[in-house]
Amino acid sequence: MDFSAFSSQFLVGLSRAMILFVVCGGLSFVLGVLRVPNIAHGSLYMIGAFATFTFSKLIGGSAGFWIALILAPLLVALVSLIAERGLFCHLYQREHLMLLLFTFAVSLILGDLVKIVWGAEYRSVSPPTLLKGSLSIFGASLPRYNLFLLIIGPLVAIALWLFTNKTKIGKISRAAAVDREMVGVLGINVSWVFAIAFVIGCYLAGVGGALVAPTASIIIGMDHSLIIEAFLIVTIGGLGNMWGALVGSLIFGVTQSLGVLIWPQFAIVFPYMAVVIVLLLRPKGLLKSVW
Amino acid sequence: MKRIVAMNSLTLITAFLATLLILVPFDASAQKPIKVGVIDTYTGPAAVFANDALNGFKLALDEINKKGVLGSKIEFTTRDDKWKVDLGMSVAKELVMREEVDLIVGTINSAVTLAISDYMKSEKVPFIVWISKSEHITGSKGHRYVFSTGENTAMAGKAGGVALAKKPYIKYWIAGDDYEYGHAIADAIWRNLKALKPSVEKMGETWWKTGEPDLIPYFTSVIGAKPDAFIVCGGGMTMANSLKACKTTGIHEKIPVFMHTATDHAVLKPLGLEAPEGVMGTMDYHFYYPETTANKAFVKAFQDAYGAPPGFPAFHGYITAHFIAEAFRKAGAIDKEKFINALEGMVIDSPGGKIEMRACDHQAVLPFYLGVTKKVPQYNFLISGDIVTLAGKDVMPSCEEIMKARGK
Amino acid sequence: MRDKEERELYREIIRSKWFGFSVGIVFLLLILPLFLPRFYVYILALIYVTSLLAMSLNLVVGHGGMFQFHHGVFYGVGAYTVALMLKKTSLPMWMGFIAGPIAAAIVGLIIGWFCVRLTRLYFGMLQISLGSLIWVIVFRWYSFTGGDDGLPGILMPPLLSPLNHSYYFILIILLICLIIMYLILKSPFGSTLQAVRDNPQRCEAIGVNVRRHQLMAVVIATFFAGVAGVLFVVLERSAFTELLFWVLSLEIFIMCLLGGWFTFAGPIIGAAIMVALRTFVGIFTEYWTLILGIVLILLIFFLPEGVVGFFQEIFKPRSKEATEGGNQ
Repeated sequence: MDFSAFSSQFLVGLSRAMILFVVCGGLSFVLGVLRVPNIAHGSLYMIGAFATFTFSKLIGGSAGFWIALILAPLLVALVSLIAERGLFCHLYQREHLMLLLFTFAVSLILGDLVKIVWGAEYRSVSPPTLLKGSLSIFGASLPRYNLFLLIIGPLVAIALWLFTNKTKIGKISRAAAVDREMVGVLGINVSWVFAIAFVIGCYLAGVGGALVAPTASIIIGMDHSLIIEAFLIVTIGGLGNMWGALVGSLIFGVTQSLGVLIWPQFAIVFPYMAVVIVLLLRPKGLLKSVW
Repeated sequence: MKRIVAMNSLTLITAFLATLLILVPFDASAQKPIKVGVIDTYTGPAAVFANDALNGFKLALDEINKKGVLGSKIEFTTRDDKWKVDLGMSVAKELVMREEVDLIVGTINSAVTLAISDYMKSEKVPFIVWISKSEHITGSKGHRYVFSTGENTAMAGKAGGVALAKKPYIKYWIAGDDYEYGHAIADAIWRNLKALKPSVEKMGETWWKTGEPDLIPYFTSVIGAKPDAFIVCGGGMTMANSLKACKTTGIHEKIPVFMHTATDHAVLKPLGLEAPEGVMGTMDYHFYYPETTANKAFVKAFQDAYGAPPGFPAFHGYITAHFIAEAFRKAGAIDKEKFINALEGMVIDSPGGKIEMRACDHQAVLPFYLGVTKKVPQYNFLISGDIVTLAGKDVMPSCEEIMKARGK
Repeated sequence: MRDKEERELYREIIRSKWFGFSVGIVFLLLILPLFLPRFYVYILALIYVTSLLAMSLNLVVGHGGMFQFHHGVFYGVGAYTVALMLKKTSLPMWMGFIAGPIAAAIVGLIIGWFCVRLTRLYFGMLQISLGSLIWVIVFRWYSFTGGDDGLPGILMPPLLSPLNHSYYFILIILLICLIIMYLILKSPFGSTLQAVRDNPQRCEAIGVNVRRHQLMAVVIATFFAGVAGVLFVVLERSAFTELLFWVLSLEIFIMCLLGGWFTFAGPIIGAAIMVALRTFVGIFTEYWTLILGIVLILLIFFLPEGVVGFFQEIFKPRSKEATEGGNQ
């Protein structure tokens, strides 16, 4: 296997990890603040992808994708806000198992809603003209769109870091993750903190869905395959830890891509094995959990 | 204590009875229609084909039910297997045991087909497969109760072998969906190609999980391996996805790509003008070729009814309905065994000419068209160009070969 | 249990009004195949298999308080073990039937050993991760497990081939397992387990080895899940990767919740309702999961004790044991 093949696979894996990170960053954030793994995260990701298709088709042309990239996650955030304010917030007093099952119920409902709204057939979105075709890097060909992902990923990471460390809301969310009672005692409406954290996390799921749209078929069922990967990633990263989500995504994306080179049939097993190895050594995840 | 027990009992009994009552079928039709159960994948990428087939089937039924069959109408009910074998099995059981259908048609996932076929054999109910392509359906695992109105991998393999043997490529890479159909088409094409041109070499194989949405890492890996040509064995979930990955990675511009069904309309239409040009493919139906009166009439009727031209599934669904009607008419009664006897060897007229349901293996004899995807000004999707026709009987395995495969 | 305690327990059981009623139901179930159409016999048998699975999960969730998020893995391991043995080897059927639950219990022991080191959400997420590895290997090992295609067309011996025979076999095994589970829960082990569920710290303090108890509970539960897996193969003559997929694991969870996870027979009702709903709703609409999601939300908001729990609550408002109050 020559270097160009290896590097091209590595870069493809890295770019895939970026999408995973965007999604898992959101999942981790929600997990950290609300202490509940949001199973509906996968469905929101799927809505993001389908919405990207609709918006880009409506607006048409190359600009279509860019505008969809902005609008689709907003739509997803809106959906999550409705779910949160309408139903979810009433459950905050209940035990966590109920919250988890609630997110599962929402994922079931959203999954079928997508089918009702968009139909059961698959959709396809093309990358915008700027990002079509491939480039030659180190003698290997890398689709331009994947290069774009490699740039977006770190940008999202930086944006998240700035948010949680430099903005007031971000800092309050971080505090609520560690000790929600204290935050309440300080006079801050914890319920609204949860709402904001939840919506932002889901917004990121929508962004992830929008980003993945031009690379893969947009199909019913993409929520199920994604959510299991996302769960594994946040588990090995450390529950609620966003840098952990980054580390986990990198491990996952890169091991799968390299797996394609080594043993294509079992490529998808490599990341799962990596997860198990990490967990056997550090059962609570690589980085410290937020709580 | 007494009341608790009483409440528990009441609860249990109520739940139990409600459960039973809910499941009682409450239809009581006067004149017994011919009941057909349709099992197909109406969720996910394969739904494009399933809907196409159902539309062809319905179009034919509209014509047929005007006259009726043996004084009854043909009715159908659909079930979604969602591409899963376990769901396919449970709906098949429900259709046979609860709905008591006279026969079942459909399926696109070859694994679902084989599982249902096995069940239908034990229940002695006819099963007509209209999209699934594994040659094992009417070949090694065929039996009295299963028929196919679609082409299969043995035929496609031979056509593919013929096409590729003419080309100068020596080193091949084969990739595809890791399930029944993927392996069947890969084996068939390679077997035939190797027989016609022994100098070909298989550089490597790649099998991804069926319906894998992100094929780019696999395709870039193949580009890196630098074969002379690339054979893709994608099934219903993957056909269009592979073409999209071709376009994104540009693999087809560097390495010639061959894929059975790449030239089908149902596959090319969703991609529009974004589909890759120059991909070689084989198909058993095109709405634009050959331009016979029968084909044009069928296409017009389909277009009027559904707003788009038909793909190969619609063609198969259409001829399935006609086979069913004619077989029952010939049988003279709504009897499963008589139906099967009548269907064996039957020849019907179709938009593709006369089609025979071969008696020895229950396989419809269909023509094959080799082509290359290309853009044309009059459509905003790609079509098959440079078409070469192969007659059905030239690509099918002989009856002796079939019997040998079945171990007889 | 000591002899005298045993005799007391049996006397208590027989004297309870439950007993006569249960015998009546069992008799009814035994004679049903004689006059019920085939489809309903099949659905009932499917309900039995699912009930056993749900009951096995409830051992650790409802009565043990553990976050067993991927119970389906053990079900699948049981099913695949017997399916592979019947398909690939010519070993006698009985060996396969015994190997299934044992394999499931071994896997349960291994996964459980790692999981009981953690609590609550960590327990659950770790189990999902470990279980998913098993799923993905079975899913991708096409040449051995049939991968995505599953293992259909497994031949059952002539004794179990007809649907009615399978029905009786499954029913009898279910009843035996239910009796064993009931005895386990009533035993000191069962009481300790429930105590651990309610207050693990206090149990540690009085010298109970919490981890060992939990691990034993997991092994027992996974053994029964393996039995359910074997029964699945007997009924359906196939094994599928869906049995190992996380969605099914969560569905079993819902069954326990639906029925009432602090009750004994709750999961059976939950399983029956789920199977009936899925079959019935699936006939009329393809949006079965939407209905399930709505039902689940209604459950969470209005009926968290489940169907059986709800009825029990109405007629026993205050004198419920301390276990009920153990809800955090």
